[in-house]
Formats: sequence, structure tokens, C-alpha cells
Amino acid sequence: MRLITHNMLQCHVKACPPGQSYPLQIRNAELEALDAEFNADFVRRLIPKLDWKVLRSTAFELGVAQLPEECPAEPTEDDLQMIHKVALQTRVKEAEMVCSGCGHVYPIKDGVPNMLLQDHEI
Amino acid sequence: MFRYLIIFAHFHMAFRLPELDSLAALEQVNLVYDKDAYSDDHPFFIVQLPSDEDARKLARRSILIKDVIRLYADEPTLERVLETARNTPDLIGPYANSSFRFDCRAFGSTVEHADQVARIEQFAFLPAGDVRLKNPDVIFFYMEDYGTLHTRGHLPPAEPFRCMFGVWVGSGDRQLVNKYDLKKRGYLGTTSMDAELSLVMANQALVRAGSFVLDPFVGTGSFLITCAHYGAFTMGADIDGRQIRGKGGKSIDSNAVQYNLTGRVLDTVVCDIAHHPWREGEIWDAIVCDPPYGVRAGARKLGKGPKSKVPPGPLVPVKPNGEQRYPQTVPYELDDVLVDLIAFAAEKLVPGGRLVYWLPTVTDEYTHADVPLHPRFRLVANSNQVFGTWCRRLITMEKLREGEQAEEVVAIKGEGEAQAPAHAKFREVYFAPGRGSQPSTPPSERA
Repeated sequence: MRLITHNMLQCHVKACPPGQSYPLQIRNAELEALDAEFNADFVRRLIPKLDWKVLRSTAFELGVAQLPEECPAEPTEDDLQMIHKVALQTRVKEAEMVCSGCGHVYPIKDGVPNMLLQDHEI
Repeated sequence: MFRYLIIFAHFHMAFRLPELDSLAALEQVNLVYDKDAYSDDHPFFIVQLPSDEDARKLARRSILIKDVIRLYADEPTLERVLETARNTPDLIGPYANSSFRFDCRAFGSTVEHADQVARIEQFAFLPAGDVRLKNPDVIFFYMEDYGTLHTRGHLPPAEPFRCMFGVWVGSGDRQLVNKYDLKKRGYLGTTSMDAELSLVMANQALVRAGSFVLDPFVGTGSFLITCAHYGAFTMGADIDGRQIRGKGGKSIDSNAVQYNLTGRVLDTVVCDIAHHPWREGEIWDAIVCDPPYGVRAGARKLGKGPKSKVPPGPLVPVKPNGEQRYPQTVPYELDDVLVDLIAFAAEKLVPGGRLVYWLPTVTDEYTHADVPLHPRFRLVANSNQVFGTWCRRLITMEKLREGEQAEEVVAIKGEGEAQAPAHAKFREVYFAPGRGSQPSTPPSERA
């Protein structure tokens, strides 16, 4: 799971308290660097879709990068490269994603997050 | 505007015009044609385009176009073609010093080599330079149409009933069908989608470099591969994690490696579209999928079956014996899959984004009203592929931009409909005994 995907996933347990289901905390992470094609246009269009604060805190907690407080309003090529590196080239290989609202744990195995719930949770 | 002759591949007829329209939108080409002039009976279609360059752009990504010809003559006989060509100043001037080749082809019959030469020689009045078979400056193109009698057990007629002549300007990209042929793909499942239609779907979805694409029923990832081929960044999701991870080193990831697309085939997530984990927001430019309809892969969603013996209360994801506990699933009716899919797409696509998916229907019971519509979508295309008693339709929908109105708004489920749609209980009908002869086997169900 790359950080771009983490940025878009939330806890969807029915009983999860509203407002606390996002973001999911990554615990016991094993990271790997992966290649991804750089496409400036793609990254530019990705920026408004990202939750910047979450990308920033996740990157910081995982020790990947120190992103600026605010997303650059007019990103330079270097900014785009930096976002590309954090969001597309950082992959969580093994980890647990924990919901801070309800404590549900979503495992990540072999880079694939398992977001399925048990039937009493939906 | 000039007249161009499009020569399609002569199959998947129902997909040819929709693909052409999609490519015109994708390449921003001003394409003009008379829809009534189109016929599924032959591969020829005359369109108007501003320039040769536009014609090449229109064709370059096409899976269902073979060639595009700048058309100078479209006549019932060769004699008339020759007369028209003689009176076309455009042909007389510019090619006097150009190396050239002359292609002579026929549809619905075979023209022997000697007869081809005899026809070509009659064009000797055209001023042109030296013959060069490989990479000539200009390719003259003469085509005869003998109709489709031969397909119905008759001999083709002795004489063509239509003769066309022009200058070749461009080709489609049919070699991709071979490149992505499933026979050469490392990781496959029972639900992998054939390369040709997967590629057509990427065109229908207007996928281009930098597009962001999701397949929510990813299976073995056929659509991730074809969309990534065109430069899209792709993601997949599936309720079945085993397909995503694959077996013995073969997986969606290994397919991406095989085609050198790892830089664009991003993540796959195990999740259920009925209870999905994606946060709010318009994320994807296209959603391309083949929803499970339960012939080879029974569709499931999370839920508790009526005979469930699992005790209430929280369950730990690991059983006492250390095995991982998989959540229960219940059968998922196609109708419900579609409602969930379209609602999901309405939420998650960017304005102008496209949803391209397969809808299986029972052939005799289908009516156009069966295609689910949604107030936030415009129905772009509905192409039919028949397999005897059943068929599947490739549905292309475009999410409306702000201020755009759907031409027609119909509720997607239930509301006062007297009749169940032709995909309702599709699986039961498909497997019902005595429905015609043996049902034809679906080539694939799910990508």
C-alpha cells in the first residue's frame, strides 16, 4: 500500500464514532521504496484530492519525509517530485492500520491492505 | 473538411462507432459523420475530418480501425473510379516525384494477384515517382467491396458493387491485441478479459497519460494492464484477496512486471464495494470493470447468511488455532451490484469521468430500459456482444459536469417498474435447464 492509497482509506465499521474514522494509524510498519513513473500532470491533479495534513503526518511518523506545513499553492517541479516520492514511491509492505475511533485493526500483508469487516461490523 | 474512408476490423461491430466517438473526444478531433450511413454489414465508413493529421490522431489508438484513407473516389465500378481519379487535380500534382506503393484489396472476395496487377496498371496515368514497397512517400489504396454473401454459404459475386480509391493516411493500433494476448500473459484467472475488448474499454474510458483509474472488481487485473498501457495510474479492489496476491509468484504485480508497467500499476486493496472503505471525494478519472455476475465467479459481498452459526459479538480476525478468519459473505445479486457500483461511481468519479462496465443480459428479454441510468450520468454508449441466449453489453457512462443536465433521468432501481430487467436473476436464468440449447460459454466474466 502506497501512501496515496492510505490517504484515501478510512475505517468503515458501522459503529465507528463519526469524525474519528480517518485517518488510520499505521503501526509496526515495514516500508519499502518502490519505483513509480513521475507524471507532473498526474501529481498536480492529485494534490487537491489529497488530505495534505494526513499525508504530512503519516510521512513524518513513518520517517519518510518532512513535508511543509501547507501544500505549496503553486508547486514547483521539485515540490511535485517530493509529493510523488512520498505518495507514490513509499510503500507499506507489512503493517497494521488501526482506527483511532473504534480500534479496529486492518492488516496489511504483502503490501495489500485487507479492509474487509466481519458481518457484525457492517 | 475532407472525406476519409475508415476501414474497420470486421468484428465487434457494436463497439466500432462508440470507440470512434471516444477517440474523437480523447484526441479532440472534429469528427463529422452521418450516423445513418454506418452499417454493421461491412467495414467501410465515410467521415469528414479537418486534415490528414486529425485522421492519424483519430486512428492511432484505435483497436477496431484498420486503416484510414483519404477518399478520392467511391463509385460502383472501377471504370467510374478511374474517371473520377483522372478529374481530381489533388492527385495529379503533388505525387509526381514521390516514391509510391499501390495497395489493392477486397472485402468479401479474393482478387488474384494477376487481377490486382491488371487493376493497378489502369492507374498508370497517375504521375508518381519510383515504386518503393517499404516506407514509400505515398500509398495509393484501391478497395473493392463484394458484400457478405460468402458468409451465408454463397459464392461472392463476380463483380464488386462498390469500388473505392484514395491515399492511405494512417492505421489503427491492432498490434496491441497481440501484445496483450491472454495466451502470453503469466497470471490469469477464469475471469480475465480478452485483450481486444480490454483495450477498447480503455478507449471508452478516455484513459490517457496521467489518468487515475480504478477497477473495483479487479480479479486478475486485466483492466489495470490495458489502462496502464495508455499511461494511466491504476488501482484495483476486490473482495477476494487470493486473486490479487496470486500464487507461485504469479499475481497482478507479476503481470505488471511482464508488461513493464510497474511504474503505473499502483495498489490493490481487499475490500467490498457494498461496504467500501474509501473516504469522501472525487478521486478517479475513470472506473473500468466487469462486475461479477456469477457464472464462473459467484458474486459475494460481506454479510451474514441465514444459517450462520457464528456467535454474536466481536470476532477476532485470528481463530484460536492461529488461522486467519475470513469474514462471512452472502450472494450478491447483479441488480444490487449495479446499484452499488453506479452510486459508488457517482460519488468517486471526477466530473466528466467515465464509468465503463459490462452488463450481462438475457437476449430475448432485453429492452433498452434495462440499462440503469442515474441523474448524475449521461449514457454515452451501449454495445452488445451476443453469446446466443445471453449477451453482455459494454455500458459507457459519463459523470455530468456542473450545470450539465442528463437528457433523461430514470430511477436506477425499482420505482414502479412492472417488469424485472433482463439482468435480474441472470445467474438463475443462465443455469436454468432447457433454455434453448446449451448456453454458450462466456469467454470471460471479470477482469
